[in-house]
Amino acid sequence: MQKIEAVIQPSKLDAVKDALVELGVLGITIFEVRGHGRQKGHTEFYRGREYAVDLLPKIKLELVVTEEMAEKAIQAIIGAARTGRIGDGKIFVSKIDEAIRIRNDERGEIAL
Amino acid sequence: MTMREEYERRMGAIRRDFDTGGDGVAAVAARSALVDELVGRLWAAEVESDAALAKGMVVVAVGGYGRAQLFPYSDIDLLFCAEKGEGERAKDAIRRVSQSLWDCGMRVSPVARKVVECERFAADNAEFGLSLLDRRMIAGDAAVFAKLDEKVRGKMMVKDAKVLRGEIATLTKERHAKYGDTLFHLEPNIKDCPGGLRDANVCGWLRMLKGTSPSDGEEFEEAMGFLAATRCFLHYRHERDDNALDWRAQDAAAELSVGLGRGRKAGGVDPAYWMRVYFRHARAVERSLLREFESNDIVLAPLELRRVKLAATAGFRIKDGRLVLDVAAGTDPAAEPEIVLAMFAAMAKTGARLDAESEERIGASIPRLSANLEEGPGLWRRLSAILTGERAGVALRAMHALGLLELILPEFHGIDALVIRDAYHRYTVDEHTFVVIDTLHGLEADPGKDAPDWRVKFGSMLRELQNPGLLYLAALLHDTGKGRAGDHHAVESARMAKGVLARLEMDAYDAALVLRLIEAHLEMSAALRRDIFDADTVRGFAGRVQTHELLRMLTLFTYADIQAVHPDALTPWKAENLWRLSMNAANQLDRNVDEERVHMGGKDERIVRVLALLPGAQKEAERFLEGFPERYLKTRPPEAIRQHFEMTTKFDEEPFQIVFQHGASMSEITLVTRDRPRLFAGMAAALAAWGMNVVTADAYANAAGVVVDSFRFTDTFRTLELNVSERERFVASVRDLVAGKTSVEKMLSGRRRAKRKAPRVTVTTKIDFDETASSHSTLMQVVAQDVPGLLRAMSVTLSALGHNVEVALVDTEGETAIDVFYLTHDRHQLSEAQETELSAALLEAIAENAR
Repeated sequence: MQKIEAVIQPSKLDAVKDALVELGVLGITIFEVRGHGRQKGHTEFYRGREYAVDLLPKIKLELVVTEEMAEKAIQAIIGAARTGRIGDGKIFVSKIDEAIRIRNDERGEIAL
Repeated sequence: MTMREEYERRMGAIRRDFDTGGDGVAAVAARSALVDELVGRLWAAEVESDAALAKGMVVVAVGGYGRAQLFPYSDIDLLFCAEKGEGERAKDAIRRVSQSLWDCGMRVSPVARKVVECERFAADNAEFGLSLLDRRMIAGDAAVFAKLDEKVRGKMMVKDAKVLRGEIATLTKERHAKYGDTLFHLEPNIKDCPGGLRDANVCGWLRMLKGTSPSDGEEFEEAMGFLAATRCFLHYRHERDDNALDWRAQDAAAELSVGLGRGRKAGGVDPAYWMRVYFRHARAVERSLLREFESNDIVLAPLELRRVKLAATAGFRIKDGRLVLDVAAGTDPAAEPEIVLAMFAAMAKTGARLDAESEERIGASIPRLSANLEEGPGLWRRLSAILTGERAGVALRAMHALGLLELILPEFHGIDALVIRDAYHRYTVDEHTFVVIDTLHGLEADPGKDAPDWRVKFGSMLRELQNPGLLYLAALLHDTGKGRAGDHHAVESARMAKGVLARLEMDAYDAALVLRLIEAHLEMSAALRRDIFDADTVRGFAGRVQTHELLRMLTLFTYADIQAVHPDALTPWKAENLWRLSMNAANQLDRNVDEERVHMGGKDERIVRVLALLPGAQKEAERFLEGFPERYLKTRPPEAIRQHFEMTTKFDEEPFQIVFQHGASMSEITLVTRDRPRLFAGMAAALAAWGMNVVTADAYANAAGVVVDSFRFTDTFRTLELNVSERERFVASVRDLVAGKTSVEKMLSGRRRAKRKAPRVTVTTKIDFDETASSHSTLMQVVAQDVPGLLRAMSVTLSALGHNVEVALVDTEGETAIDVFYLTHDRHQLSEAQETELSAALLEAIAENAR
């Protein structure tokens, strides 16, 4: 099993969600987050006042999938979230040792 | 047959009776009687095996069971009450009785107490104390029950009556708060929501404490019948004590006409209709509750009665925290729209509610109010006073419940208790509307020192609105279109609002703003779903908004509209994004005006609409429009543009064409003429000389060198309001000044200066230049303290240095003036040296004006 964490543009959430659902991904956790990558913040002026825009709004997705599904899910996220511009986001992948369904204590991939 | 089998068989019979007859009250009484019988038998068996239990112990039904209202899956609250120490001996018997009932499939909550333990109300165990109010002997020693009854009735309900009432009020308020203080939920919990069965119980308790009948008349009993049937239906449907009336349950209940009694129709009724019946009954319970609260001096919202000073002739007064209509010998104040609406304005200001009698009198006077109601500006003034009151939501809900809101705005009828099913909304459409208004007023409160930027900014945006009534009116009407068929409710709501605005005879500028706000009320939410830092998204959104005034209102509206969907809909993340989009769009609005110009040849819908108004002069009108900033076309109604064009055809008679419109809160003067130096400065100076305070202004020119300069201003000394004859003199003197017939200096020599109050916020003057916003002019933004004469001081300085104002956008946010000028010097952008010189001159002029 692998955990995929993806930080994407908020405007791409619907497209990414649809692509993952179409692929058969059953569960996704979504967080509203702020952050910055290499592209650091800048300053905006609004009617004579200065405001720092150092953390940009992003959406973070978390999903745990089977080994077999992992690459397909990654490609689906890339396909739906890419615009080619700076700020499209990042994907992080890590190994998961165990998954447990709290309701009935099922373990392993069946619990996903 | 075991007891369980018997219980199940007889419960089956109760259910069949309910399925056939639909009588919820009968079903709960029947279950209660059945349980009485079984408990009685079980206790008798215990007494038979231990005769000592016959004395000193009583089995008492309490809570809902005590009221003989046992819903199919409700818990059974039993009190085993001992006179003295008999409880210890009865422990095993109590366990066996409870166990047997559990084995039958009942959920029993047994409690063992001594009589003496029941005589005081303990706030830390309020539930038990309240359950004792509904007590009924089932089995055992009647003498013990008589003692218990005496203790509860004679001691707890007398000595602790005040504490009990206070606890009932606190618990009720907390429960209501959990449900957003409204009964209008799309999926209500019919037990705990406001207007639900728990509120009906509260009414019963309060009446009991007063020693009056537990019933509250026919309307209340009908509501009880409906709610009882619905709760039975839900219990049977969910097979547990689950009282959530979700959408599927609503469909099923409507199909079975649950609770409609003799009105039950074969094949059922429309779910929307069935829900309206539910809300009607819930309202009846809520009304009853409020009446009980009132007669027990329980106040639901803190009052700020000092805010209202009433004349003796007002027709109503405030008595004991309630609004009370006078009783007059002649005309009944309840039938006088002015008095009634003023009363609701006082309610909106203070949160004080009507007393029960006044409420009834107004309700009964609706037909007479309808006959006496006069529309027009007077009605708008009174409606605006209600909408802008901090507790407008309280007043609007009360008006809606009495049918008064629909009398003024029949457009509201279609969304009365309307359930629109989607995954997001929590409230009915009318209630959502009131929550939007509550949310906007919530922004008036001090945000606190740790509040995020967006919260502070939204608060100041609201406080700084020139005419907040317009925002509230748009909020009130924004979803009325949902009551009509069609997919575009925003367009439909705007269409319906046109009728309202016409009846209120609202100023054309204000009416256009309200309509645009309603029409565009989803556009900012839509933009938020895109990349709000993307230049195209921002440009597209700003292009649809066009003015700072509309942007501010739309930002506030969007904040409240999202928040009113359900309490968690507006996360700080979303609110921050909303603020960022608003800020980016505001910057965009100032920076693209000069570049985006009208060009003929395209098929812009707005051009088509203007040309359609000028059938015989197409070519001339096209020449007139050519080269104006698009902002001009987008912010003026076609009729106003036609008027401006027609003014250009009269240049031979009078080269300085002026149109002036006086308004109660804001007036507007527009100059149409051929471009020449010092025009803008002349207008600004003339207005300053007359003591007018410019709130917004814009100056545009077309390719043929025709300028349209418009100023919206407030009349500081009320000169034009109090002296109608002065209006002509005002227009003539403005014309003389721009025509050069009189000098600025001469006019300013007689200038009166208003006494300046110390500003609440100190604004430091800031001047910025941007050479990239336009290819041929320099953008200058000046942010300064808004004081009378500021615009004059700036524009005179610009003229003196020979700079030409290509486009001007003058705006005010509270005490901050934000003025943007696109400047040229000899048809070119300003040089760096010219910018430095201008900056210094302006700082000096602004400081001098402020002295």
